[in-house]
Amino acid sequence: MSFWDKQPYITFVPFVMLFKLAWRNIFRNKRRSIITVSSIIFAVIFAVFMRSLQYGAYGNMLKNIVSSYLGYIQVHKQGFWTEKTLDNSFSPEDITYLLDHENVSYLSYRIEGFALASKDDNSKPVALLGLDVQQEKNRLGLDKKVVQGEYFTNRKTGILVGIGLRDIMSLRLGDSIIFLSQGYQGSMASGSYPIIGFIDLKTPELNKRTVIMDLAQAQELFAMPNMVTTAVLGLKNDNWEETQQEVIARVDTNQLEVLNWNEMLPELQQLIAVDKAGGLFVLFILYSIITFSLFGTVLMLTEERSFEYGVLIAVGMAKNKVIIVAILETILMAITGIIAGLAFAFPVVLYFNIYPINLSGQMQEVVEKYGFEALIPTSLDPSIALSHAGIIFFIVLVVNMYTIVKIKRLEPIKAMRR
Amino acid sequence: MIKVTHVTKTYDDGKVRVEALRGINVEIKNGEFTAIVGPSGSGKTTLLNIIGGLDTPTEGNVIIGETNIAHLSENQLIDFRLNHIGFVFQSYNLIPVLTAKENVEFLMLLQNKSEAERDERTTKLLKAVGLEDQINKKPNEMSGGQQQRVAVARALASKPDFILADEPTANLDSASTANLLDIMYRLNQEENMTFVFSTHDQRVIDRAKRVITIEDGKILSDEIR
Ligand SMILES: Nc1ncnc2c1ncn2[C@@H]1O[C@H](COP(=O)(O)OP(=O)(O)OP(=O)(O)O)[C@@H](O)[C@H]1O
Ligand SMILES: [Mg+2]
Repeated sequence: MSFWDKQPYITFVPFVMLFKLAWRNIFRNKRRSIITVSSIIFAVIFAVFMRSLQYGAYGNMLKNIVSSYLGYIQVHKQGFWTEKTLDNSFSPEDITYLLDHENVSYLSYRIEGFALASKDDNSKPVALLGLDVQQEKNRLGLDKKVVQGEYFTNRKTGILVGIGLRDIMSLRLGDSIIFLSQGYQGSMASGSYPIIGFIDLKTPELNKRTVIMDLAQAQELFAMPNMVTTAVLGLKNDNWEETQQEVIARVDTNQLEVLNWNEMLPELQQLIAVDKAGGLFVLFILYSIITFSLFGTVLMLTEERSFEYGVLIAVGMAKNKVIIVAILETILMAITGIIAGLAFAFPVVLYFNIYPINLSGQMQEVVEKYGFEALIPTSLDPSIALSHAGIIFFIVLVVNMYTIVKIKRLEPIKAMRR
Repeated sequence: MIKVTHVTKTYDDGKVRVEALRGINVEIKNGEFTAIVGPSGSGKTTLLNIIGGLDTPTEGNVIIGETNIAHLSENQLIDFRLNHIGFVFQSYNLIPVLTAKENVEFLMLLQNKSEAERDERTTKLLKAVGLEDQINKKPNEMSGGQQQRVAVARALASKPDFILADEPTANLDSASTANLLDIMYRLNQEENMTFVFSTHDQRVIDRAKRVITIEDGKILSDEIR
C-alpha cells in the first residue's frame, strides 16, 4: 500500500476549497454562465409546462369520459355501433347478470334513435335519446344543463330540447313537437310531446340535434317495449381495460358487442397518440438543443481551463480533485438553473390548473363532438417536474464525461505549454 | 538530495527524433542555490521537468531523498510532488480566482494541514516575500513580480525538499528580477531551502552559487563558486 492509497478519497476541508474554486469559476465568465443557466431555466419551464399541459389534457379527458354520455364501456346488440338501427336492440334482462361483476356498479339503459321533428311547417331530423331520466340525472348532471324550463323532476313525460334546435325551429316552452320515424321492425312511430325544458349540452353540434325523453316513453314511441339499444356500464374504479375483457368473457359475443371508450372514439384516440408523439418529438428536439449547448459550454470550459488544470496537477493536486472542481462548476450551474426553472414553472403550471386553457382547433371540435369539455387544466403531478429536472441533471452529468476523460488524460507539461 | 544518473530523454513522434538529454549525471545537495544555464533548446526545461517528476526519463534514474521517482505511478507522482517538490513556473502560476493568501494556503489544504498551521505559515511566507499588505489581492490585481513572489511563497508552503523554478524571471523587468532573486537568496541563506532554477539572464546567473551549463543535452561544465 502506497501513501496515496491510504489517503481518504476526499476530506472535508479541501472539499470546501474545491467548492469555493468551482463557485468562483462560475463568475469568471459571467455572460457565459448566465446563458448556460438561462438555457437550463428555459428548458425546465418549457418541458414541465408542456408535459403538465399534455398530461393534464389526457387526465381531464379520462375524467370526462367517466361522467360523459359515453361512459367507459357500453354493451349493444352485436353490430349496433356500425349500423345504428333500432332493430339492433336487445332486452335489458339479457345482461342483468353483469351486475354481479365486482367492478360494475350499475347498468343504465338507453334507446338511441332518429326521428323527424316537426312543429308547424318546420321539420328537422333529430337524435332522439331515451334514457332513465332519474338514474342518469346525477351521473350526467343533466338537470344542471337545463337553461330554461325544468328537468324531469316529478314527471317522466315531456321532452328536453337542445338550445340549438330551439333557435333553428323557433321553439318555446310548452310547445309540442311531433316525431315521425320508423319504429322497431318496420313499424310506424309517431307521437306528440310537450317541451318541458331547453338544455345546453355545451357544444353546438349536440345542441342542434338532441332531444331527450324518458326511456319508457321512447320504448312506447318506437314500439319496442322492454327493449334498448344501449347499456352503459357504471364502473367502481378506472380499471376499464380489465373489466371490458372480463365482461366480454361473460357475454354471448354472437349476440352482444362490448365496446370501450377508445373503440367508440377512434378519432380521439388517434389525436391523443399524435399529440403524445408530437410532444415527445418536441421534447427530443429541446433536449438535443440543451445537450449540445451544455456540451459546448463544457468544451469551452475544459479548453480554457486546461492550462490551469495543468498547473494544479503539476504542483500536486490529485486529478480526482481537479475533476471535482471542473464538473462542480457545471453541476452548480445546472442545479441553479433547475431550481430556478422549477420555481418559475410552478406558478405557471398552477395558474393554468386553476384557470384551464381552452382547447382550440381540431382538438376542440373532436372533443366537443363527444360532449367533453374543451378545457384543459394543467396536471399538478410533481413527478412531471421531478422527471424533467432529473433528465437535465443527467444530461449535465453525461456531457461532463468529456471533462472527466480530458482531465484523466491531461499531461501537465503539455497543458502548460503556451 | 537529488541524484540524476545516466538520464536520457528522446522525443520521438514517429517522424522526428530529438535527443533532448544525452546521459546526464548530476547530484544536487540540500541547501544548494543552483542555476542551470545553456542556450535555447539545450534541454534545461526537459531536465527540470524530469527532476520534478513532471516528465519521465527515457533511460536512467532520478532519486529524490530515498525515492526513485522513475518507479512511481502517475497518482503517486502527483502526491510526491505535493509533499516533496515546490514549483515556480515562468508565468501564470497562480489560481486566478483565489487571493494571494488562498493561493499560498492551497497546497496546505491539499495536505490536510490544520487551520492554525495554515494561517501561521501563510502569514509568515507572505511576509517573507514582502507581500503582507497584498494578501487579499487576486493575481490579476498584482504585478508580474508580485505574482512570482506569491508563487515562491506557495512553493514553500508545502514544506518541500527543494524548489524547482524554470526561468522564473523570464517575464520580469530588472527591478522585479532583482527583488525576486533577493528573496530566493535570503530564503536559501536563512531557511537553508534548496533552489534549482534555469535561466538565460546573466544577472541571475551571477547570483547562483553553482552553475551547471548544458548544451545539446549534455553537461558542458559544472562550476561551484
Ligand atoms: N514534447 C516535445 N516533443 C519533441 N521535442 C521536444 C519536446 N520538448 C522539448 N523538445 C525538444 O527537446 C529539446 C530541449 O528542449 P528544452 O525545452 O528542454 O530546451 P530549453 O533548454 O528549456 O530551451 P529554452 O531555453 O528555449 O527554454 C529541444 O530541441 C526541443 O525542441
Ligand atoms: Mg526551457
